[in-house]
Amino acid sequence: MADKNVLIIGGGVAGLSAAVELANLDIRVELIEKSNFLGGHAIGYACKAINNTCVKCGACMVEEKLQSAISHPNINIWTGSQVQNISKDHGFTASIQQKPFVIDRKKCTNCGLCLDRCPIDSAILQGFSKNNHPFYAVNTEKCLYFKDQSCTICQNECPEKAIDLDKKASEQSIEADAVLIAIGFQPFNPKDKPYGYGRFKNVVTGLDLERMLKQSGRVKRPSDHMSPERMAFIQCVGSRDAKLNHLWCSKVCCGSALRMARLIKERQPNVELSFFYMDVQTFGKDFEKYYEETEKEIRMIRAIPGDIYETDGQRLKVNHADYHSHETVEEVFDLVVLSVGITPGEDIGILSRMLKTGPDEFGFFETGNKGISIPKNGVFTAGTVQGPMSIPETIAGAGSAVWRIKKYIDGLIIDD
Amino acid sequence: MNKQKLILGNGPCAGAVAENLLTTGNKIVIVTTDGTIGLDEFTDSEALQILTETRLISCKGSIGNFTIEAIQNNKPISIDAGRIVIAEKDQRTSNFSLYGLKAASNAITLSQMKNVLNDSSREKSVLSGVKKVVFLTGLVKDSTPVIAKEVMLSSLLLQKDHNLQTYILTKNLKVAGDGLESLYRETKEAGTIYIKFTDAAPDIHQGGERIRIEFFDEIISKNFRLTPDITVVDETIVPSRYATDLAKIFHIERDVNGFVQADNVHRYSVLTNRKGIMVAGPSRSVLADDDQSIDAENAALAVTDLASKGTEINVEKARVHEGQCIRCLTCYRLCPYHAITLNAKVAVVPNDCERCGICAAHCPRGAVRITDLEPETISDLITIDTDMLSSKTFMPFIVAFCCSRSAAQARDLSICMGHRLPQGLKVVEVPCSGALSYDHVFAALDNNADGVMVLTCHKGNCHSEHGNIYAGQTIEHIQEMFSRIGFEKERILIQTLASNMGAEFAQIADRFEETIVKLGPSRLKKN
Repeated sequence: MADKNVLIIGGGVAGLSAAVELANLDIRVELIEKSNFLGGHAIGYACKAINNTCVKCGACMVEEKLQSAISHPNINIWTGSQVQNISKDHGFTASIQQKPFVIDRKKCTNCGLCLDRCPIDSAILQGFSKNNHPFYAVNTEKCLYFKDQSCTICQNECPEKAIDLDKKASEQSIEADAVLIAIGFQPFNPKDKPYGYGRFKNVVTGLDLERMLKQSGRVKRPSDHMSPERMAFIQCVGSRDAKLNHLWCSKVCCGSALRMARLIKERQPNVELSFFYMDVQTFGKDFEKYYEETEKEIRMIRAIPGDIYETDGQRLKVNHADYHSHETVEEVFDLVVLSVGITPGEDIGILSRMLKTGPDEFGFFETGNKGISIPKNGVFTAGTVQGPMSIPETIAGAGSAVWRIKKYIDGLIIDD
Repeated sequence: MNKQKLILGNGPCAGAVAENLLTTGNKIVIVTTDGTIGLDEFTDSEALQILTETRLISCKGSIGNFTIEAIQNNKPISIDAGRIVIAEKDQRTSNFSLYGLKAASNAITLSQMKNVLNDSSREKSVLSGVKKVVFLTGLVKDSTPVIAKEVMLSSLLLQKDHNLQTYILTKNLKVAGDGLESLYRETKEAGTIYIKFTDAAPDIHQGGERIRIEFFDEIISKNFRLTPDITVVDETIVPSRYATDLAKIFHIERDVNGFVQADNVHRYSVLTNRKGIMVAGPSRSVLADDDQSIDAENAALAVTDLASKGTEINVEKARVHEGQCIRCLTCYRLCPYHAITLNAKVAVVPNDCERCGICAAHCPRGAVRITDLEPETISDLITIDTDMLSSKTFMPFIVAFCCSRSAAQARDLSICMGHRLPQGLKVVEVPCSGALSYDHVFAALDNNADGVMVLTCHKGNCHSEHGNIYAGQTIEHIQEMFSRIGFEKERILIQTLASNMGAEFAQIADRFEETIVKLGPSRLKKN
């Protein structure tokens, strides 16, 4: 019987992997996730296999971890929840605030009628996995009922009577023997870069493209839903950037972008692809062979474009320095993908104050070295809260944190 | 139950595994081919046994109960173990030949330079009078962050402590490692000059007294010539010969570079196709030091974790029927988990078996039966809706054999996402597509299917390593037979999918339905 409790903050790859490993050791887990759906950013990633062959992006592993976590009797899941406060006496006591659970998990059959009938854009949110149940959630920031109680269409029309817009937020207190912080990363917001993100419809981020490919399996221009003819990826947006003091490589963007590019080339062979980069980073064990094929299909340009302007038909003018002629070249693309970097998670500040430990010089969670963080206090970290890492690295890091947590709650690591 | 754990290797990773297991109350035996092992802290421990100069020969048994034969100082010995962790060191091959160079006093490897920098007496003799050092890295073969870090650190030391001018010549600088972008900036500030090549490569001549490196600089658009006092070439990290021998001894699948772990996401991070045998650190991949200690902890966790899951309980999943078995060894050959034993009787070891069904599908005598996966059980699952038979317009009855780990999940996601799947689609879940035999496909056609889809994992993503490949071979053969007898081979389709491909599942099903509508009802259909 499980008599030890671990509080995990964050239900992404790291939190889910750690939860499953802890639960398998017969340790009880309280898994807190801020958003409505488990799986973090990575649950929205597409499978990038080409030629019927896995390219080891790890996206399906997120699905696997999520499935194991939701069905494990030792894991208690709190979606739409945030930690308000943590205190430590002998163990930890945390107060958790949970958003109103408008859609009843037990009654909902994922029929999607709420989404079909809702008059407001993105007031009903959709999950990414069949293991996101319910697959729908009411976005209290957009929903009219939460604004002025003027609309109850979804509640009225739900055939299962699963929607109750009057549900209230709840607050509960939980006890834990150890805390694992796995709040993940924040994708760099490129709106301040001269690339027109947020202003030009056909400038999207790598994450947007991941989700687009997962959703429909194809790339489309957001402005007209047509297949683009010319498409460009711009790497290192918000990474390796001295002006921003972002002195880190986000590690995963070359792999994600080039794998997506090749997937698009396989499915929509008429799309011409260009790839703007500084240094291509190795990914995957057979990188050499993979990259050889990549160079045949994708035009590789060693330059980071200066800026982007919109032109006729919502196409995009991209300026970059040609490394042969050293002249500024202007090219027109239908779609530009910004490979935005991994930046520190947005709740790091609050959490570090609660737990009395500081972020490092770049704003990621302070760690002695990877996987290690202030274990003497019973607070551990895992995943991209420590800095950029891939899905496989995150899974390994979560295992390492679990091992340390086990040693801690078995009394093998002692509090100061 | 608490049998000793065997650790193979004597490097830092093996040491870390040992330390993690010892501090958590495990009894361990460390086996190394070398003469010593650096684990002073624990050498007094009764829980620790060290066997040096010992080389493994063979391994029998299964999880919880391995028996290993080895040679120690020319004498055969036997070791019992409940779990095994392979953590042998990697090795390096120099890249001289890639750059057209030969080892010389002025052309050395990265490891040699690191050794010089670690040894103050050699430092003086080797570096005296040296003004320029050139590092060649990742110019022909792509490098890794592990090597890039060593190059940058060495260059930084030379630049700062020895006041030398260093040059790093590379194609793509591999900074995708912790702290490497900062290190890159630091080396540049210290004065290291980076020359990056995109399309071209430098000409390297070793003829005369000095090595000459000539190149066209892409940024300045000028020809340059470097005549360094020392040229340092990078190295490629490969698995040790002994590690690859161990893979053979333990029947563990290897990756493209020969490391002792299949390149399969389901093995993350330290698992292998063998239950109870883990692989950590330099035996499985090129990893930074931090990642190696993370591996050591994961290996310790896997050792502990498996013990708590009750895998010691023998639950029969597959049975070989003695009367039918002719010891052809097909099952032994194909089992990805090495779960078949060849004693007086051929048998499936319950604790090792993952119930993929590959053995049963491929046994030429039908001697292996998998619980709940017998051909009759599958046949019962394939039933056509009677409404469909009486329907006036043709509605194709499609049987889709779906791998439970991938395609069946994709089907569920597809429904969640609101895709309408063909009305006559019947999904039959199989634990692995490798469980699919000719009988299953024929049973589907015999049960009025107009079309059969086999939906497997992508290559390299099969939990049972090659189950999807076997399914592919079976289907290809059936298609070939159909062509010969004039039956439409288009009625059989094999495709690969992952669990997160909901949209693609719907597209495949729709397209297949269209194909079958065009072909019309199957001639084998009974009305």
